Amino acid sequence: MTFEPSDESGAGGFSSGVSLSPIGAPWDRLRTGVWRVAVAEESMAPALAAGDWLLLDPTPARWPRRGSVVVFHEPESGILAIKRVAAGPGDHVRISAGILHLSPDQAWLLGDNGASSIDSRRYGPVGLDALVGRAWFRYAPASRIGLIPRGPQWGPLRALAEPRA
Amino acid sequence: MSRATGWLRPPTTAYAHCDVPCGIYDPHAAELAARTVARMVELIGQLPKENPTEADRAKLVRCITVKEQHAEIVKHEIGVIWSDYFKPEHVERYPDLHDRTWKILKLAGKNKQNIDAAAAAELEAAVKEYADIFWSTKK
Repeated sequence: MTFEPSDESGAGGFSSGVSLSPIGAPWDRLRTGVWRVAVAEESMAPALAAGDWLLLDPTPARWPRRGSVVVFHEPESGILAIKRVAAGPGDHVRISAGILHLSPDQAWLLGDNGASSIDSRRYGPVGLDALVGRAWFRYAPASRIGLIPRGPQWGPLRALAEPRA
Repeated sequence: MSRATGWLRPPTTAYAHCDVPCGIYDPHAAELAARTVARMVELIGQLPKENPTEADRAKLVRCITVKEQHAEIVKHEIGVIWSDYFKPEHVERYPDLHDRTWKILKLAGKNKQNIDAAAAAELEAAVKEYADIFWSTKK
């Protein structure tokens, strides 16, 4: 399947210069945001495993830096998904149709397990309005408690990962 | 203890959505299973009809077992694609989708019960058409 960027893929109403409040005002996000999630499925292995319990920061006003792990609403299905930011606003991503320039509210999200992950290679860039929070700490299982590191391998080159043919 | 973990349990699940390990949205497994059913019918037909040896009888049993198992795999795989993959818009595009599914399940049942080359060929063809429909919705 080939992803072709289209006008619909972004978060429609963005115009540069306006404040980015994707999930509502900060106070709303503190109150109604998602603070904890359980991980299901394996596309983030080995960094995250199914059954991990994570703490989120539900208040990001913009996409976190490359390599950060984020929870967001998956574009096609709307399910809550967890992936890594492979490229952020302003970055360029090479896709089969050419080079895609991410707009100021878009990120390119990929699973660590490239071969088996359903991610931006399937559904394209993800708009800021889909962002739910940044995963920063694993509090269970006990043997794996700790901060969730940004993947060191997730530099600019990694962001140019080939899309699914 | 259980109360403590219950309290700690996150209220929501985030899916590290993956494709291949689940392996559910690919008709290839169904096609392979249907092919296997047909092949088993073929092998059974090649066995000597008179004075079978011990080995022939063992092979017959094996072939029948494999045939029935794979007919069941066809039912399972087609059922998964039907229930989990196909969406209302696909049914709009292929109004006979439900009927096709039902017929494949029936055909697979028929192939479990009988040793029938025609029914096996029919199953293989029906699954192939189903797979074609699947792939056409991926375009």
